Amino acid sequence: MDGFAEKLASKLHHYSVLPFSDVNGTVDAVDPFVLTNYTFFLVIAFVITLVFFLVAARRVSIVPQGIGQVAEAGYEFIRNLCVDNMGKDGAKYAPFIGTLFFFILFNNVIGLVPGALPGTGSIGVTATWALMVFIVYNAIGFKKNGVIGYLKSFVPSGVREMGPGGRFTLGPFIFILEIVGHFLRPLTLAVRLYANMFAGGIILGIFGIFMILGVQQLGALGITMTGFGFMMLVIMYGFKVFVAFIQAYVFAILTSVYIGGALHASEH
Amino acid sequence: MFVGVAYAAEEGGSAISVVPVLADIWPSILAFLLLFFLLRKFAFGPISSTLDKRAATIKESLEKAEQTKVDAERMLEEYKQQMAEARGEAGKVIEQGRKVAESMKAEIVAQANKDAEAIVAKAHEAMEAEKKAAIGELQASVADLSVAVASKLIGEKLSTADHASLIEKYVAEVGSLNDN
Repeated sequence: MDGFAEKLASKLHHYSVLPFSDVNGTVDAVDPFVLTNYTFFLVIAFVITLVFFLVAARRVSIVPQGIGQVAEAGYEFIRNLCVDNMGKDGAKYAPFIGTLFFFILFNNVIGLVPGALPGTGSIGVTATWALMVFIVYNAIGFKKNGVIGYLKSFVPSGVREMGPGGRFTLGPFIFILEIVGHFLRPLTLAVRLYANMFAGGIILGIFGIFMILGVQQLGALGITMTGFGFMMLVIMYGFKVFVAFIQAYVFAILTSVYIGGALHASEH
Repeated sequence: MFVGVAYAAEEGGSAISVVPVLADIWPSILAFLLLFFLLRKFAFGPISSTLDKRAATIKESLEKAEQTKVDAERMLEEYKQQMAEARGEAGKVIEQGRKVAESMKAEIVAQANKDAEAIVAKAHEAMEAEKKAAIGELQASVADLSVAVASKLIGEKLSTADHASLIEKYVAEVGSLNDN
């Protein structure tokens, strides 16, 4: 079992952010303008997403057909999601949510290919997008409701209508709580997606190592370890496929909920 | 074992870092923005307008189908009504025709009867006239014959007055015979 620690360490090393040209090296610091092992697959996902939609958009017609039908169904799904969470004006934000959803999805799916990494498995990538979502929805909130109107919405109308005692003691408290809640949103968005995609790889790695060690062992223990490792690998791979879709969906739906909340901030 | 893992990980110099790396940040924002603008212009825009167009087309087709159905039903109703009217009209025409034919038949039969009666009457008249003429002729010839026979029997001529009275008497006798 001694090999386990080294193998896991090398697995963890494989999943760290490294310069793409030096994934087996021992470089600690990553130069700011170097292609990393994650951005490499991010660029691949970018190309695949773009090509898929550009090709699909050319096949789109009144009578649904082929790949165009898939893209249409996907986009319609996102558009409905936007309308459901933001109201009638939601369709306007569908391109934004759609880009988020499909880019994350293609990144996650690429991570399913053995040897590849999901672009979303790096905190740098997910935090950037989460911060972007934070800026976008707050900008929408300020634009739609005005600075005062939007800030006022952080204190629920029930508290605003209380007597001076309630208003001036509970009000600031809730206001601060809300502000903290809003700042937690990008953090949770970023960590949720990153942790899910990153952990998926690590878990597969662990059971993979388990299998390899089992093959190296002799006798009943070796067969048991290999069998168990293989079974778990299959189950976890299936789970990873599920997670790839679910996490893209969660990121998209939360973003649309945040934008919807910002759009209708003055209503509650 | 886990202490070993942590140790090995540290030794490898690649302990998992949860601090974002700048090399991951700028490509992800750049890639996202580029993808967003490209997809919005060349993919989502056309797809969205196609979806709207399709929805409009389907709605229009449904409305048209509904209108066509309503029209068809109305026309069917009209045709049914026209059919019923035509049937009634035809019945009337036939009835009228039958009446005309019947009245014509009655007229023709009446005319025929009248003609037949007239012909019979004429024939009767003619027969009567013939009979009268024949009787007249017969009477004349009987008178002459009687006179001749009487003259021969008597051998001498009777006076005109005797003659006349004798004839009348005879004629009366013959007439009474004729009546029987």
